[in-house]
Amino acid sequence: MAQVKKEEKYPIAKRFDIADVQVSREAQAVKPEVIARQIKRAKNPVLVTGGYLLKEPELVDYAVKFYEKGLKIIATGGSSKPLIERGVEPLTVSYTLHHFTQYMLDDEWQGFDGNGKYDVVLFLGFIPYYLSRMLSALKHFSKVTTISIDQFYQPHAKFSFTNLTRNKELHYRMLDEIINLIGGE
Amino acid sequence: MALNLKGSFVLDELKNVQITIGKILEEGEEWDEPVGPTPMPGIADLRKWDHTLLERYEPFYAPMQDFCTLCTMGPCDLSSNKRGACGIDLKTAKARLVTIACSIGAAAHTAHARHMLDYVIEQFGEDTPIDLGPDVNVEAPNIRTIIGVRPRTLGDLKVALEWAEREIVKVLHSTHIGNEESLIDYESKAMHVSMCDHIGMEVADIAQIVAFNYPKAEPDTPLVDAGFGVVDRTKPVIVVVGHNVMYARPVMDYLEEQGRLDEFEITGLCCTVHDMTRYNARAKVFGPISYQLRVIRAGLPDIVISDEQCIRADLLEACSLMGIPLIATSDAAMRGLPDATDWPVEKIVSALINGEVPGVFLSDPEKIGQVAPIVAEEVFRKKDRTKLFFKSDDEFREEIAKCTQCMNCVFTCPHSLRIDQGMAHAQKTGDISKLAELEDRCIACMKCEQACPKKIKIINVIMQSNLQNLYAKTGMMRVGRGPIQDTEIRKVGQPIVFGQIPGVIAPVGCVNYPDLKDDLREIIEEFLRRKYIVVTSGCHAMDIGMLKDEEGKTLYEKYPGNFDAGGLVNVGACVADSHIAGAAIKIANIFAMRPLRGNYAEIADYALNRIGAVGFSWGPYSHKAASIATGFNRLGVPVVVGPHGTKYRRAYIGKPWKKEKWWVYDIKTGEKTYIEPAPDALLISVETKEEAIVQLAKLTIRPNDTGMGRQIKLTHYLELSKKYLGRYPDDWPIYVRSEADLPLRTKDELLKILEDEHGWKIDWEKKKILEGPIRPLDPGFNPTLVEEVFEKYSRK
Repeated sequence: MAQVKKEEKYPIAKRFDIADVQVSREAQAVKPEVIARQIKRAKNPVLVTGGYLLKEPELVDYAVKFYEKGLKIIATGGSSKPLIERGVEPLTVSYTLHHFTQYMLDDEWQGFDGNGKYDVVLFLGFIPYYLSRMLSALKHFSKVTTISIDQFYQPHAKFSFTNLTRNKELHYRMLDEIINLIGGE
Repeated sequence: MALNLKGSFVLDELKNVQITIGKILEEGEEWDEPVGPTPMPGIADLRKWDHTLLERYEPFYAPMQDFCTLCTMGPCDLSSNKRGACGIDLKTAKARLVTIACSIGAAAHTAHARHMLDYVIEQFGEDTPIDLGPDVNVEAPNIRTIIGVRPRTLGDLKVALEWAEREIVKVLHSTHIGNEESLIDYESKAMHVSMCDHIGMEVADIAQIVAFNYPKAEPDTPLVDAGFGVVDRTKPVIVVVGHNVMYARPVMDYLEEQGRLDEFEITGLCCTVHDMTRYNARAKVFGPISYQLRVIRAGLPDIVISDEQCIRADLLEACSLMGIPLIATSDAAMRGLPDATDWPVEKIVSALINGEVPGVFLSDPEKIGQVAPIVAEEVFRKKDRTKLFFKSDDEFREEIAKCTQCMNCVFTCPHSLRIDQGMAHAQKTGDISKLAELEDRCIACMKCEQACPKKIKIINVIMQSNLQNLYAKTGMMRVGRGPIQDTEIRKVGQPIVFGQIPGVIAPVGCVNYPDLKDDLREIIEEFLRRKYIVVTSGCHAMDIGMLKDEEGKTLYEKYPGNFDAGGLVNVGACVADSHIAGAAIKIANIFAMRPLRGNYAEIADYALNRIGAVGFSWGPYSHKAASIATGFNRLGVPVVVGPHGTKYRRAYIGKPWKKEKWWVYDIKTGEKTYIEPAPDALLISVETKEEAIVQLAKLTIRPNDTGMGRQIKLTHYLELSKKYLGRYPDDWPIYVRSEADLPLRTKDELLKILEDEHGWKIDWEKKKILEGPIRPLDPGFNPTLVEEVFEKYSRK
């Protein structure tokens, strides 16, 4: 499996929509190893998958790999169907990202499995403007660590991949690197 | 009878005393329904109902900006819910912004109604009776319920309109610096002003139906041509864009009088064309609002008439570049043009034909009727229509060659369309198919061209690339029918409330869809096949007429137009959305005999607990969409929006695990009862068509469903979830009250799941649930969230 080379230059972190501007902090555009570290340190991490999994089979492959490494999956937008076909058992399939975000803003919520609220949330496979609004809500009204691992740089996440729209292969290699680094159960 | 007295009266016996009487309405004889608790409600009068809703459906905010620049103390950083100089925090600032958006939407419909009503009263007289056909006795359900009057004439609509205008101003006042500090109270005001919106819409549509003799609740209205390719390019083309038919009507009248209607193509864009076809079914639907630049850049119109709302703010520039004269008609959008209202017709025609002015502001409808055809004919004579977006193939290819793949377009496109990839592929291979694929998802907003450093005409490139398919996007739209008949309500009221008709899905609104347009057809047909009632309006209704299945048929050609199971009802323009709210109100009134007069909270409570209706806006983008949706929410009707809907910044989403939030009073037992979270949200967005379908099915579930009704609704919810999400939904057990609620075909399987995975106790011999549900199924269950309603019916 190809690793991201150390000498590889990352593209600049250009917002998915140049007009999506806020005054508060913008996401740190980070390398895969930083994200892997966040996942490993987390008490209750989760991967939330979105509707782009229905269009880009490679994203299903990566979600399956994350699952096989022990990451729980909340499947939204219909992404559950290809995941279930690949043997994944998502925590939930029928709650929208909107539901999930609203629940995450509530201090009393104990998660879909009742094991406590998720402290590190990764997002994969979302329409960028849709995810952006949810990340904005989570940024302003919660303390959760949000991480976008999509091809578009998401300014309202705490951590985000940089803008990878020109280089899909680099995007996939970076996903591979996270999966390699987080080890396994 | 209604007694109208107007003017000043001097009493002989009392010197120097003069009484001025505007209007007296004596309702007693003709409407003996007692006045309910909230006729003509002010901001505070329905606040208790709003707070009850918002306690359960907590507002959710997704800030588009975390700063405020509305006053000179700012700009203020409100991030992480900080307070600005005026003391407002981020959430409350967002609630205020939503209130402002809803006020804009309400003002748009209400100003439209004011314009229309004043005009038709002047033309036809205020004593013109309101006659919506033989099957409509409850003629104005929103006005009856909210205002507390029963309008019989056009003049009677004034009282409702004046109330709406007054309340909109009051709500707008509350958004001034230094007023409200509670986000919940801002949301209550957003709901209040959105209820005004529903009044404005109802007044506007009743006025035009009555005055212009539109179809009156007839299910079988004509089918009219719809789509980019519908016009005959050998005739002069008159295009009207906007929402107010007042200015298109005289054009059709004039040509009809002259016996020349067949010599012209009369078409329109956006809601105004709905009303053109309601007035004269020979008008053609060019397309929804996103087709403005498609149509103009193609050079198809010979004259454009603009009225109001949702029209591009660069319409004049777009028309001028193509040599198309523009007549602006509404004082809401005068476009910097000279006021030609008092000019003689000949002078206006000459100025437009000779290019002395790029357009005129002309507010006299009758003059427009005369001017537009003459100008169109002259422009048509001079125009070359052989090429549409580019003069030659070379010019088209040269435009593509300019692209450097800088991607500035992608990073400003609302859909992040990969224009760069389409251009690169075309440059390398000559194949334009990747550019062509973008057309269907492009809303032609033109932001890409603004961002392009090479000034490429990106929209033209995309449209030209898919020209054949674009031209083939033609179909048939069923003309808007206006209200739902009382007789239809009588037939379907019980099955809707009991749940045998699984729900009413109402796709309405704009065209900022997340993906391919055909998704809308797929979503709707899934419900039509399952015998839901589908009621549509506005741009959604137009697009449905342009989308065909594999056999080349639109949904209008496949499904009947009656308000019944499996029916596809087009009510008309966006102001006709009032009839959708009206249908919900009429179910409460005609089927359940609930009094309407000034009795809003009881009716909304009835809808929330009993009527499985869900609004659906797959591509919302206007402020009016915000107020329409929020008005439905106050009426107890949940709304699902496409992903762009998150940019309204606010949603209403309940939290199912908070059991204390899900309660009702049961009038039968006299007790407060905990219930299943149905519906679990009032306003929520979805990302994909798959998610939309499943959410819509879920949100039709109501606490009052009978066993049979819940069984039918759960059958669809479970089947659709399995079909689109790959397995049963996570939350289906919370909607099960007894074994009678379970789908018959999968009953054993589901009982086993309840036992094994959820710990429910099952009597397998009798196949009965012994323990597990939140509450048992009680056929006499009579839920309400309104204390006063509970007390009223408990006493009875």
